[in-house]
Amino acid sequence: MDLGVTAHLIAGPKRAVIADDDADIRALVSIAVRRAGLEVVAEESDGVAALEAVRRLQPDLAILDVSMPAMSGLEVCRSVRAESSLDGVRLVLLSAGAEDRSRSIGLAAGADDYLIKPFSPKMLATALAEMMGLTEMIGHVE
Amino acid sequence: MSILSRGHRLAMKRLSVDAPRPSLRHLPTAIAFAAALLLTVLFRALLVTHPLALIWSALVMVLATILAALYSLTARATRWSLLVPGVSLLAIAVLRYSTGGTTSLFSALIILPVVWISAETGRRWVAVAILGTSAALMLPYAIDLRWPSDASEWLRGVFTPVVFGLAAIVINELSRQARRQVDDVRRLVSEGEKLLAESLSTAAQLEANEVQLRAADRLTRSVLDAVTEQSVIGTDLTGLIDVWNPGAQVMLGLSPVQAQGKRYVFDFHLADELDARSRELNYPPGATVLNPGFSALVESARLGRAEVRDWTYVRDDGSQISVSIAVTPRFDDLSETVGYIFVATDVTHALESSRLKDEFVGLISHELRTPLSSILGYLELIRDDDEAPLSAEQLQYLGVAERNAHRLLALVGDLLFTAQVSSGRFPLTISTVKMSEVVSAAVLSARPVALGAGVELLIELPADALSVLGDSVRLGQACDNLISNALKFTPRGGRVTVSLKSRGNSVVVTVRDTGIGIPESELDQLYARFFRASTATRNAVPGVGLGLTITKAIVTAHEGELDVESEEGVGTAFIMTLPVATLPLATQPLTTLSLETYLAKPAS
Repeated sequence: MDLGVTAHLIAGPKRAVIADDDADIRALVSIAVRRAGLEVVAEESDGVAALEAVRRLQPDLAILDVSMPAMSGLEVCRSVRAESSLDGVRLVLLSAGAEDRSRSIGLAAGADDYLIKPFSPKMLATALAEMMGLTEMIGHVE
Repeated sequence: MSILSRGHRLAMKRLSVDAPRPSLRHLPTAIAFAAALLLTVLFRALLVTHPLALIWSALVMVLATILAALYSLTARATRWSLLVPGVSLLAIAVLRYSTGGTTSLFSALIILPVVWISAETGRRWVAVAILGTSAALMLPYAIDLRWPSDASEWLRGVFTPVVFGLAAIVINELSRQARRQVDDVRRLVSEGEKLLAESLSTAAQLEANEVQLRAADRLTRSVLDAVTEQSVIGTDLTGLIDVWNPGAQVMLGLSPVQAQGKRYVFDFHLADELDARSRELNYPPGATVLNPGFSALVESARLGRAEVRDWTYVRDDGSQISVSIAVTPRFDDLSETVGYIFVATDVTHALESSRLKDEFVGLISHELRTPLSSILGYLELIRDDDEAPLSAEQLQYLGVAERNAHRLLALVGDLLFTAQVSSGRFPLTISTVKMSEVVSAAVLSARPVALGAGVELLIELPADALSVLGDSVRLGQACDNLISNALKFTPRGGRVTVSLKSRGNSVVVTVRDTGIGIPESELDQLYARFFRASTATRNAVPGVGLGLTITKAIVTAHEGELDVESEEGVGTAFIMTLPVATLPLATQPLTTLSLETYLAKPAS
């Protein structure tokens, strides 16, 4: 048994905040996140609420849609990275891909990964598990 | 003009120096002779010695008069008219003989024809006059067949001709001088006439030129005035405005009176834009050129090239307007540049509508991708549900749904991409791309479609990988498009051949099919957005007409060429030619470059 699973068993599952203005996408991401072995602690539909949730809950992971009302995913990323107390939060941006050179902009804003819609839930789960060191947990939760 | 020439003709008439007609010159002789004749009739007994000779002399004088009349009728002056005084002399000689010979009262009449003869041009006529006088005076002796009897008779025969001769010399000289003066006058007159004619024709020419100039000016003015949607501004070499059309008045808010001769064209430009442009052209700051901003504005025109460039005009009230300005030089008649013409078109609306279109396409693309993401994601969840596996039939239905969702997704991607191409924003991720891999992958992914369509799909690859510099994803997309097109337009049982070759410094990808072909008249429209060949619509081949537009844009962005050969009913070949990678592979980092940076690289 490796350290990740041990940590999971000791401290409970890693926690994720999801933000997307489209409820169906939110639900889909939520499924993938849970399949990756994480616990979804908040689902928000705009950037301001997402940032507030990250500050309040200090999750291990935040998955943010790039285009959201009130505050874009990019701005949320920058704000999170500007606060040292939130250093431990891994950030993943999800984009509908209409923006130019968006990947480099996303990574420059502080995101750990930048994924483009449409995404395969299975592949998203695999990528998240890998990122969070939970490779062996896939399919074990729920 | 006509009044002048009539006056000129009158002046010529007044100055006429033509010799008097023979009849006029003969008139004094004739009158004097007639008077003498009258006297002889009145005092016949006293005067007439030979009546028969008198009749003869009268007849001879009649002959002289007839001759004079005849010569007067002929238009041209002739020396033969001297016959008239000659014959007159004879008549007078005979008259003198008939009225007493050497003692005749009428000897003095001889002077009249002598004056005529001696006034003729040339000294010899003096001699003729003297001889004539002598002959006339000696006639009585000749008729009586005797010599002069004494010294006084001899003297009379010599002295009178000598006196007459002296008179003849004087007359001859005077008339010579008179003729010279006449000639001078005549020459002056003809010179004057010539000058007058010349000045008249010059005046006519000037008048015609003026009419033409006025017509040309009116044409220019009406053309300038007709251009109300564009501003036309003309300046001298320093930029001082001298042409300002109604379009300029509308666009910039100043009347011609306010602008012409008072304002400079660069007054209406954003100083920052002019500065930026002069920096681009590497003008030393403020030093060598009078006005760096103006020089930047006319740089291309100064070098003889017309230039169209986007600028911002600043109206008199300070508001700004985006314009596209064509700058051309103005020349004088020696082809020297004397100024510039600035024709500006308002592009605010064009820029705005282009921006709105881009925004719209971006928004639509985003709005379409989000639901498609949901559809595809949830379909995958259904497919992968381990707890409730699907039946084969359900899986097939699911496949159809997924395939169509992907089709929609591809369409959205194409739309977004063409919008980027048309707005000039076209991101390329450049690396060294092995075309053999790109082509193989494209053929491989098209296999299932070919199989389903019953079309044979062949690939011809060389041993070399054949690398190009480019965006592997976009190049793959170009190959995919060409192959999927070929498959779509090839009926069951046909064949599609994809070949990769090296030709000189190029890599050539050819996709050849045995399909329905494209009518020749439609070949040049192939790459227009949403264009579909008539053979495509007739055969109900699905598509929206974006594939070739995108393929062409991709190939062009790679500095390549896309050619087509097609024959209706026989097949079509698309030939994609790309420049081979020229930089050594080791120095080629896998970085993302903008298209501009890529194109700006010097070819090694």
